[in-house]
Amino acid sequence: MKVVPSRSSEWVRPVTPQKPASAIIEIESVSQVFQTSARKDHVALSDISLAIDEGAFVSILGPSGCGKSTLLYVVGGFVSPTSGSAKIRGRTIMGPGPDRGPVFQEFALFPWKTVLGNVMYGPRQQGVRTTEAEAQSRALIEMVGLKGYENFYPKELSGGMKQRVALARTLAYHPEVLLMDEPFGALDAHTRTRLQNDLLNIWERDRKTVLFVTHSVDEAVFLSDKVVMMSKSPGRIREVIDIDLPRPRRRSELLLDPRYQKYVVDIERMFDETDPVGSPS
Amino acid sequence: MISPAGLARRAAPVLACIGLLAMWQAASLALKNDSFPTAIEAIRAIPDILGDKESLINILASLRRMAIGFGIAVSVSIPLGLLMGRSRAVAAFFNPLLMVIYPVPKAALMPIIMLWLGVGDVTKTLVIFLGVSLPVIYHSFEGAKAVEEKMLWSGAAMGLSPAQRLVRIVLPAALPEILTGCRTGLVLALITMITSEMIARQSGAGNILFNALDMGQYDTVFAMIIIVGAMGICLDAIFERVRARLVRWSEPQFDMPLSFS
Repeated sequence: MKVVPSRSSEWVRPVTPQKPASAIIEIESVSQVFQTSARKDHVALSDISLAIDEGAFVSILGPSGCGKSTLLYVVGGFVSPTSGSAKIRGRTIMGPGPDRGPVFQEFALFPWKTVLGNVMYGPRQQGVRTTEAEAQSRALIEMVGLKGYENFYPKELSGGMKQRVALARTLAYHPEVLLMDEPFGALDAHTRTRLQNDLLNIWERDRKTVLFVTHSVDEAVFLSDKVVMMSKSPGRIREVIDIDLPRPRRRSELLLDPRYQKYVVDIERMFDETDPVGSPS
Repeated sequence: MISPAGLARRAAPVLACIGLLAMWQAASLALKNDSFPTAIEAIRAIPDILGDKESLINILASLRRMAIGFGIAVSVSIPLGLLMGRSRAVAAFFNPLLMVIYPVPKAALMPIIMLWLGVGDVTKTLVIFLGVSLPVIYHSFEGAKAVEEKMLWSGAAMGLSPAQRLVRIVLPAALPEILTGCRTGLVLALITMITSEMIARQSGAGNILFNALDMGQYDTVFAMIIIVGAMGICLDAIFERVRARLVRWSEPQFDMPLSFS
C-alpha cells in the first residue's frame, strides 16, 4: 500500500483498498513522464495517490514545475497519465467531460462570442433550450458581478472580468467538480483578492468539489479545506494539511486570526524546504 | 461636422490618385513616346471600353471565372488548412507537396493545363484556383496551429467532439488569420485572371488588353490597366467591409480595457 504523508485527514487521504464511499475523485499511483529530449525524461508526477471527497475545497500547492497543473489536467482528462489512473465516482477518466469543469489561468474564453454567448455555450451544447439557457446564463453573469456586460466581447474586458466570465461559463454546465488551474495567477493583487472573496461566496452556496492549483500559500490557506503540498523533481505529494478554520471565512477576520497566520507561516516554511533556491517562474 | 484631421484623412486617397495621374501626365509629356499615352488620353479611352457591349461581356466573363475559381479555392483550402493545423499527420503529408507548388508561378503551369483541358474556362478557372489556394491554405494552417490549446480543452469539457471542435472552435478562432489569407488570395485571383487570359486569349479583360497592345492602341492598353486596378481596389474594399464585420470581435472597440475588477 502506498503511504502518503498525511495529518489526520478526513477530506484527503491515501487511497486504501477499501475505497471510502464519499470520495468523488481518486487518483491512483499516477505518474507522468515527459520526454524533453532524446536522452532525458522529465518526471512531472511520480506515483501520486490522492482521494478527494465530495464537496471539499482542495488546493494543490507547490513551486513552479512540480507538476501540480499536470495533475489537474490528468483529472480533467486532457492529459493521459504515463501510468496509474484517475477516477471520478469510481469510473476511470478517459477524457474530458462535462462532469469536470476547468477554469484556466489563461481564461480561454471564446473571443468571437459575447459574455452571454460564452456562458450559454455549455448549456446549449448540452441541449438546453435557448430561452432557458439564456435565463440561467444571465443569472450566472449577475452572480459573478458582471450584470450589464452581457453583450461585451472578451477583448473589451479586463483580466479580472474575463476570469469571472470563465467561471460563469464553467458553472453554467453544472460540472460536479471545478478544476481551477492557477485561475488568479495572471491578475494583480487587488483583483486577485476580490476574486478570491467572490469565489468563496459562490462556493459556499452549493459547495461544489473544487480542485484548485496555486503557488500562493495564503490563497491556498484562505480558500481550502485541505492543502496538498507538492515537491518538485520529481513531482510528489509532500504533505497534506487540514485547514481547520471556520466558514464562512471573511478575509478581514481571517488575516487577524492567529490560526490562519500559523498555517501560512508553517506552510511557507515547508515551501522553502521543498524549493530552497526558489524556482524560475 | 468633420474635423480638419478627419477631412485630411478622407482626402488623402483622392490626393494620392490625383498626384499619381499628374506625375504620369508630366512624364508622358516629357518623354513624348507613342507607346506611352498621357493620363488624360488613357482616361478618355475608358468610356469607350465600358460603353462597348463586347468589352463588357469580356470583363464580366473574367469576373465570373475569378469568382468561381476564388470560391472553389476558398471552400477547399480552408478545411484543408485547418486540418493541417490540428493534425500533425495531415500537415506532414501535405506540407512538402505545398512547398513544391508554392513557388511555381501558376501561369507557368498553364501551357500544360491547356494541353489537357483546352483553352476554355476550365483551364483559366483552374489556374485561378491554384493561385488562390496556397495563401488561403497557408494562412488557415497558421491560424489553426495558433489556436490556444486550453480553448479546445474548454470545448472538450463541454462535450464537443473533435469534429465539432474543428468547426465550432478552430474555425472561428482562426477566422482573422484565414481572412488575411483570403485577402491575399483575392489579389492573386485578379493577377492570375489577367495572366491566364494573356496566355490563353479567347475572352476576358486580359484579352482586350493584349489585343489592344498587339494593335498598338496604347490608350486602350492603359485604360484597361486603370480598369483592372479599379476593379482590384473595389473588390478589396468590399472584402474589407465583409472581413471587418466578421471579425468585429477581434478588434477592440475601446483603446483601453474598462477598469473593473
